[in-house]
Amino acid sequence: MLEIKNLHVKLEEEDKVILKGVNLTVETGKVHAIMGPNGSGKSTLSYVLSGRDGYEVTDGSALLEGEELLEMEPEERAAAGLFLAFQYPVEIPGVGNMTFLRTALNAQRKARGQDELSAGEFLKVVREKAKTLKIDADMLKRPVNVGFSGGEKKRNEILQMAMLEPKMCILDETDSGLDVDAMRLVADGVNALRDAGRSFLVITHYQRLLDHIKPDVVHIMADGRIIQTGGPELALEVEQNGYADILKAHGLTEAV
Amino acid sequence: MTSDLEIREGVDRETVETVQNMGSYKYGWETEIEMEFAPKGLSEEIVRLISAKNDEPEWMLEWRLAAFRRWQEMPEPDWAMLNIPAIDYQDIYYYARPKSMETKPKSLDEVDPKLLATYEKLGIPLKEQLILAGVEGAEDLVEGERQVAVDAVFDSVSVGTTFKDKLAEAGVIFCSISEAIKEHPELVKKYLGTVVPQSDNFFATLNCAVFSDGSFVYVPPGVKCPMELSTYFRINAENTGQFERTLIVADKGAYVSYLEGCTAPKRDTAQLHAAVVEIVIEEDAEVKYSTVQNWFPGDENGKGGIYNFVTKRADCRGDRAKVMWTQVETGSAITWKYPSCILRGADTQGEFYSIAITNNWQQADTGTKMIHLGKNSKSRIVSKGISAGHAQNTYRGLVSMHPKAKNSRNYTQCDSLLIGDKCGAHTVPYIEVKNNSSRVEHEATTSKVDDDQLFYCRARGVGEEEAVALVVNGFCREVLQALPMEFAMEAQSLVAISLEGSVG
Amino acid sequence: MGAAVQKSTLEARLEGLSTTGFAPAARKDALARLVAMGLPGRRDEYWRWTNPADFIAATPVPAQAFDDSDEAPVFEATDRVKLVFVDGVFDADASDDLALAGVEITRLAEAPDLNWASGLYGTLEVAGQTPVARPLAALNTAAATDGLLIRATAKAEKPINLIYIHRSEVSDPILHHVIRLEEGAELTILENGPAGARFNKVMEVDVAKGARFHHVRVQGRDHERRAATAIFARVAEEALFKSFTLTVNGVLTRNECVIDMVGDDAVAHVAGAALGDGASDAFLHDDTVFVTHGAERGESRQVFKKVLKHGAVGTFQGKILVKPGAQKTDGYQISQSLLLDDDSQFLAKPELEIYADDVKCSHGSTTGAIDETALFYLRSRGVPMEEARGLLVLSFLADAIDEIEDEGLRDDIVGRLEAWLNRHRD
Repeated sequence: MLEIKNLHVKLEEEDKVILKGVNLTVETGKVHAIMGPNGSGKSTLSYVLSGRDGYEVTDGSALLEGEELLEMEPEERAAAGLFLAFQYPVEIPGVGNMTFLRTALNAQRKARGQDELSAGEFLKVVREKAKTLKIDADMLKRPVNVGFSGGEKKRNEILQMAMLEPKMCILDETDSGLDVDAMRLVADGVNALRDAGRSFLVITHYQRLLDHIKPDVVHIMADGRIIQTGGPELALEVEQNGYADILKAHGLTEAV
Repeated sequence: MTSDLEIREGVDRETVETVQNMGSYKYGWETEIEMEFAPKGLSEEIVRLISAKNDEPEWMLEWRLAAFRRWQEMPEPDWAMLNIPAIDYQDIYYYARPKSMETKPKSLDEVDPKLLATYEKLGIPLKEQLILAGVEGAEDLVEGERQVAVDAVFDSVSVGTTFKDKLAEAGVIFCSISEAIKEHPELVKKYLGTVVPQSDNFFATLNCAVFSDGSFVYVPPGVKCPMELSTYFRINAENTGQFERTLIVADKGAYVSYLEGCTAPKRDTAQLHAAVVEIVIEEDAEVKYSTVQNWFPGDENGKGGIYNFVTKRADCRGDRAKVMWTQVETGSAITWKYPSCILRGADTQGEFYSIAITNNWQQADTGTKMIHLGKNSKSRIVSKGISAGHAQNTYRGLVSMHPKAKNSRNYTQCDSLLIGDKCGAHTVPYIEVKNNSSRVEHEATTSKVDDDQLFYCRARGVGEEEAVALVVNGFCREVLQALPMEFAMEAQSLVAISLEGSVG
Repeated sequence: MGAAVQKSTLEARLEGLSTTGFAPAARKDALARLVAMGLPGRRDEYWRWTNPADFIAATPVPAQAFDDSDEAPVFEATDRVKLVFVDGVFDADASDDLALAGVEITRLAEAPDLNWASGLYGTLEVAGQTPVARPLAALNTAAATDGLLIRATAKAEKPINLIYIHRSEVSDPILHHVIRLEEGAELTILENGPAGARFNKVMEVDVAKGARFHHVRVQGRDHERRAATAIFARVAEEALFKSFTLTVNGVLTRNECVIDMVGDDAVAHVAGAALGDGASDAFLHDDTVFVTHGAERGESRQVFKKVLKHGAVGTFQGKILVKPGAQKTDGYQISQSLLLDDDSQFLAKPELEIYADDVKCSHGSTTGAIDETALFYLRSRGVPMEEARGLLVLSFLADAIDEIEDEGLRDDIVGRLEAWLNRHRD
């Protein structure tokens, strides 16, 4: 599904290298997790994959089903099936949540050569999916993320994911700022979307989200590289011992 | 008063104590000293006389005369929201100096003891072993903790400058401007009038013609000035205008923090103070300029007081140059003053923090201009205006983003507080944005002193007037924090004093 | 100067204008006012950013009639009384019948005398001349050739739509409407259409106790328009005044709005959304607003948003004046501009002048480009660049559009905005 090879990235404005050769392959239908200390480059990886400005790719490639992502505009990546659940979802005053969802969905359908969804059909689908995420009608009517609580924002991200039905989902620190109940709700939403044709890349600092979204593969990222890869047990190891030992084994120290 | 009193964030015990110690205008006494005046009125002869008194070179006289001719052609400005009684420019003494200053003292030891005593009484010891300048509460601080060099200006002349030798060791020149014109003509010629041109405005042009003294600072490349510098202005003589001129130059990579304080005796007739301050900041240099302006504000019926018409401007010429203006304006019958920043270099920074308090019949029209010319330049304006009695208080400012000032930023916050229903608070910002990569944000609010906060204070036994002072101090907190420590203490007590009689 | 005295600018401007007609005494006073204050000039503080030269010139710059038939007429979805002016002259044939339940409508040019209106004509304009002179409005009162006198005595059955049609390349209409809402009445006025090559319009609105006045205006699409309009409103106790203007295109537009809140508990909202694209012609849009709180517990809102590109210039001069004694005033003002490229400019002077202490007044002003983070967020959800920019423009304008209370009218305006954005994609 997703194949990242030797990805090197620096900040556009500064001479600061963030990713120093990331190699990662996520197979179709699998859930991979990336864990790592702060400043390891996890969030940068998610932004670079989804095409945010401000980063310069100096080497490497990222293929989504064999197509080079890095050459596409952000909306083309979305149409190709990539979805990033933001760590900090953006507030857009004046644009209704429904309008936003419909615009996005129809833009993607159009880009894929599909017919646009009628207002009636759309409404039916969105109400159904919102219900399972406990998103009420009022939240759907309100402007995008404006006045939403932390938990509501993250649920709204998952609702978008459910509506847009991407192939490759990246969750960037989706657990940050959530209490246990909110996290369970979000995790249930994600788990409901797991299927044989869809892959996930779950980026997180802590293991706790992985209790709810069970990964197939866990990677540890540090200093702009994947330094270790293993099964779910690797996450538990981090949970128990922290990052220090793993970092030390690779000649690194934890950035403060 | 309970020791755990917490009024609101930003008001601490220190404030409470300061407020409790407040008194009325403390600086209203007069020094009896024999003075020498130039004849009243303004003419070419007076300009020549001032130049001659200062023993100036020919080029300086020519410069003054050019300004004088220009001034005669200029109309008085009337755009500010001020009601300025007609000023008779022929009924003012343009030059007044203590007789004892006829021959300039070679050192502080030679200065007339009466003058030294005057500054002592103001809390400005002109002795180098007593280190702190200009400040209430200075005596509480540990001696030797901090050194401040002082240039003391009495009516039209500088009576002395402390720590000159120590500063000279670091290469810093700090002296009166009259001395600088004689001793460092190359520097004065290079910079004088380059930030505030002769033709800038009515009062600045007047100043060019008749300025009698003021301070001069030059900090050479790479030098961090080893102590804070300050000038203390005292108007003493009656019917006398004070026209001082300050020129500060921070060469590449230099740093200096400069403090300014002002007082005048209580008098029934208004007096004019028209100063010019020019600051040149080269590449990577930084200047902080702090003012506590406490000229006599006039009495509770609006009689007397200083007309404070001042032009202050800093030019951030080099890349990464920084300037920070902080002002606490509590005095003067009328204040007309807009310390400004020209952000010419790339990545330059200008900041303006202001508290303006007007009570009784005081009027203030003050603010700043942020002229963004260089790319990535940043500016920040925080203005707190407080009106009480029958006073009128206006914030007037300009933020200008030129087409070439790409990626620049401005943030402006103007808050006004009204105490009583006879006063006025006004906000007149001008915003001009000529490129789209810059971002300008302006916010302003006007409100009255919060009743809940007042009630809370009073329920804890704080008197109404003190409670108001407490709350106002909290309102001003952001600006007070920008001041050097000793100045902040003086400013806090001034806030309280200025608002005396504003409630009840 | 020789004996052959050159005509002054004012004399030249007045040449060919008639200062007789409805309310002759008021016209005479207005002319005297105008002579005393003179025409506006570049050096006037109140014309700091807008050059009034084209407004004061003896003759208008010719402007071609603009064909906007590719779009359905605005307000078409609303049941309304249509009153049509062609090049500033009322066209009875093109208009609906003047009869409307709850409202009396009279044509100014045909009214020999109408008590309520001749007493009102020019009075709100005079009041609005202090503290700032508004010579173009005085000129209007003195020389208006037509307009409507509208008096609502109850809740109007439907909105009145003033439609301005521009045919002659050199038309230079001066229209003056007088609107009076009696106690408890309700009326909505809609305005649209290019009125002429140069347009000078004054609308005096007197809102009596408890009455509700709504105004929605579309100034649109004719690139070559030069228009100076002024609304003078007096809002009595518990009365409501709401005005919204959408402006798209136009070489030079100056919209003044002067609101005097004279009664306690009055509400006045004035809002504007302007879209300017300097590519087809120059674009300068100037909103100049002056709200005076003269009574207690008044609520005022000024919400002005501008979207500018290709050298378009937007200016805003807005003031909240709270008079002594106008306690418990709640005054708010926001002026914002979105600069879509580096050539455009926004110039603003948001003012507060406050003489009462128990008030809550604030203003804000921001200028900047489209928020890159929000743009990325939209694009990451698959919304193409241009569409995403369009959505963010609408998002930016939302606060102003929300000031339109009627949902149908609001949707109509949003539709116009979307159409404009589609036509003006880069």
